[in-house]
Amino acid sequence: MNETDNTITTTRSGRDLSDAPDIIVCKGVSKWYGDFQALEKISATIKEQEVVVVLGPSGSGKSTWIRCINRLEHHQEGDIIVDGVELTNDMRNIEKIRSEVGMVFQQFNLFPHLSVRDNVTLAPIWVRKKPKAEAIEQANELLELVGIPEQADKFPGQLSGGQQQRVAIARALAMEPRIMLFDEPTSALDPEMIKEVLDVMKDLARSGMTMMVVTHEMGFAKEVADRIIFMEEGQIVEVGTPEHFFTNPTEDRTKLFLSQIL
Amino acid sequence: MTEIQSSAGVPVIAAPPQEPHLPPKEWLKKNLFSNVGNTLITIMTSVVILSLANGLLGFAFGSERQWNAVAVNSRLYMSFAYPEAQYNRIWFSFATLLVLAGLSMAIWRGGTRMPFARLAKSAYSFGVGLAIMVWLAPLSTSGTVKWEIAAGGLLLAGFIFNRIAAQDEERSLSSLTLLVGTLASIIATLWFIPYGRHSFIGDRIPQVVSEPGTVAFSTKLPWTIMLFVLVGAYYLGIVLRDRLPERRTRSVLMGFWLISPIFLIYLVLRDPAFTMNHVLYTDIPLVLGFLVVGSLILYALTKPSLGEIGRIIAMLILLAGFGSFLTPMRMIIRIFLIALGLFSLAAPTFSGDKSTRRRYSSIWSGFIVIAGWLITAVNTPSTVEVPGDLFFGGATLTLIVAFFTVILSYPLGVLLALARTSNMPIFRLLATTFIEFVRGVPLITILIFFSVMLPLFLPEGMRLPEVTSVTIGYALFSAAYVAENIRGGLQSVTRGQHEAAEAVGMSTSQKTVFIILPQALRMSIPPMVGHTIGTLKETSLLYIIGLFDLLYVGRSVIPNQTAFIGSTRENLLFVSVLYWVISYSMSKASQRIEKRVGLGER
Ligand SMILES: Nc1ncnc2c1ncn2[C@@H]1O[C@H](COP(=O)(O)OP(=O)(O)OP(=O)(O)O)[C@@H](O)[C@H]1O
Ligand SMILES: [Mg+2]
Repeated sequence: MNETDNTITTTRSGRDLSDAPDIIVCKGVSKWYGDFQALEKISATIKEQEVVVVLGPSGSGKSTWIRCINRLEHHQEGDIIVDGVELTNDMRNIEKIRSEVGMVFQQFNLFPHLSVRDNVTLAPIWVRKKPKAEAIEQANELLELVGIPEQADKFPGQLSGGQQQRVAIARALAMEPRIMLFDEPTSALDPEMIKEVLDVMKDLARSGMTMMVVTHEMGFAKEVADRIIFMEEGQIVEVGTPEHFFTNPTEDRTKLFLSQIL
Repeated sequence: MTEIQSSAGVPVIAAPPQEPHLPPKEWLKKNLFSNVGNTLITIMTSVVILSLANGLLGFAFGSERQWNAVAVNSRLYMSFAYPEAQYNRIWFSFATLLVLAGLSMAIWRGGTRMPFARLAKSAYSFGVGLAIMVWLAPLSTSGTVKWEIAAGGLLLAGFIFNRIAAQDEERSLSSLTLLVGTLASIIATLWFIPYGRHSFIGDRIPQVVSEPGTVAFSTKLPWTIMLFVLVGAYYLGIVLRDRLPERRTRSVLMGFWLISPIFLIYLVLRDPAFTMNHVLYTDIPLVLGFLVVGSLILYALTKPSLGEIGRIIAMLILLAGFGSFLTPMRMIIRIFLIALGLFSLAAPTFSGDKSTRRRYSSIWSGFIVIAGWLITAVNTPSTVEVPGDLFFGGATLTLIVAFFTVILSYPLGVLLALARTSNMPIFRLLATTFIEFVRGVPLITILIFFSVMLPLFLPEGMRLPEVTSVTIGYALFSAAYVAENIRGGLQSVTRGQHEAAEAVGMSTSQKTVFIILPQALRMSIPPMVGHTIGTLKETSLLYIIGLFDLLYVGRSVIPNQTAFIGSTRENLLFVSVLYWVISYSMSKASQRIEKRVGLGER
């Protein structure tokens, strides 16, 4: 499988992203945990403003891949180039990339000892070096955006799961990232809270954010994704638009997966 | 949810089942005499307890006991040989701490509400207990009568409380009111009850003169003032707490708790004789120079876009600081240089916009002023004239050594814990070696090493007072244990927290300072309080080193006074009670802190 296979031309809602610049480029990325190979020669290119949903059975390496992109995991072979910067062991590159790539975790991972507002302003103040007043103003706007402006003075432990995850999204957005990574953002939520988080993510996609989303929410994938990447056993099996993917997938393994979950 | 029909037929939501409130007779029956076996056990234990109490009381109130030894020597216990002429300094220091205590109690909203029903119960049990003890104690007839009256008073109080509780179940009393009330009654007895006036005649040759009447004016007046200071500070705190921003006030107050003991020891108690010329033409210019130049350098180094050059400058300053030990130079300059180097090294972590940078510079300025003034004070001879080279002893020495051990060992312990969990093998190795070595050696060995051997390692001409060397020993020992407690806290911070901090682009040091340490420190509060109490009790090893701590005064000084030869047991009992009171109140306070931080509930 070569890289051009994975590049798209037309997309959902007829958006044409073929001229958009590449923002994430993975070339032959492999990763091992001990002897176990978690990623096998992953190659993919993601364009600016594109929304990519990564699907695959449990243990297929989705989290591992997405975490390699902001170097929470280290790949051992191949290249990952984010926004023109190659990810190496150089700490300064990594910190630069991390401040441009926002990440939302399955378990929210809010800072429990800080108020909601401080959760959102901490990184802008100390990493982006924003004046405090500006950071607070921005935090208020972001909390408005995710729909919980009235919770700013509470602590994470006092919020519901859905509210916590929305704070986590606001926290990531406060760094004004160019890319947002989501690793199963709704898997730890009660069903009635999933929608409020997905709505925020849909708004974000509409606003033109580049997004890479690992999720089991097929509705979200159908509605929002420009492209779906299906993984199994550390490899990319199939790539395509939602229509292609859900109506006539080519690979047998994809068909099997879809028959199991739909 | 289960619903229970209350007697009026109104459904109430089921509360957790409460122990039914039994009248005393039935309570006794249920808990102590429920069957033959239990009854036997109850009787046997009571006999054992009563005979033990009998022995102890027989000892404490025997006619040959010299409790005078404690009363006459209360000053020795408090401060050892601190000269009487300068004694106001001791009271001033005590008052300062009480002001802080009063303010803190108000601002942290200390104290719990105690329902009158519970108070009544306590008063009854204390009253009955006291009555039994008085009956057991070998008191004179008049003594017995007096104490039985006191017990009766307690029972009466219990009765009154019960009446109040019966009228209104909700009525309650603040535990602070109770505390102040108790203190006030004790102090009031100083004015009204003729304990007798005991005093020394002559200078430090204890010839006791006992006169009838209430205690000496120089005792009862200061204690009374202290009570008013405490209560006054509390009310001041209540007035202030609604007008000041809570978080800022609390951190300022914490700062005062840290600074004032140092201020009191070096400026108030030690009463240094500053030479104006030296201060004006050497110390102040030095401090000002470092303040201005240092602030400018740090302001420059906290510029966000500075990059590698900042670290190079920081390393150069540090190098100059350590290099200065090779050439003769004032100690103060060396210390300032090293401090500036460390501040510069940390600068990138705290870089930010203009106001952030200004704040960093002003923290440096504050540090330099306090450190400069401290170093000057330490280098100035004291005017307090005492035999030996230590101007404090007794409880003061115990508390001061404990305080310095704690404030030195906590930061050191945090650094050790961070080193032990860091990714750098060399740091890990050093920290692990140090911690495991210290934990494998008895404390007393370390103390003796520091008091006897350390002077041999010091450079020619440098001399540390023995307390200082021993306190360093204490601090290093304690730091190893603190480090292990903090390490437990560090490990309890989840991987998700690390990843979340990294994902927003924080550097390792920012992650540590803003995310990991605050959580780790919070987790390690309970073991740390236990450790602090332990530290306080371990200061009694100063006795073996030969420093005049609380235990030394009680064990060796007073029993050797001609008037009180052989009063060792009285004094030891007194010292134990004193240690117990301090440790017990600390552990009580810590339970409240734990609840406050929400650890008890998680
Ligand atoms: N730290 C680790 N050490 C060893 N093996 C690991 C580690 N993390 C993941 N793995 C293994 O790598 C494989 C890929 O894991 P990954 O978490 O990326 O899967 P995933 O597709 O995200 O699955 P899920 O849908 O369950 O989250 C799995 O087989 C997993 O057991
Ligand atoms: Mg996963």
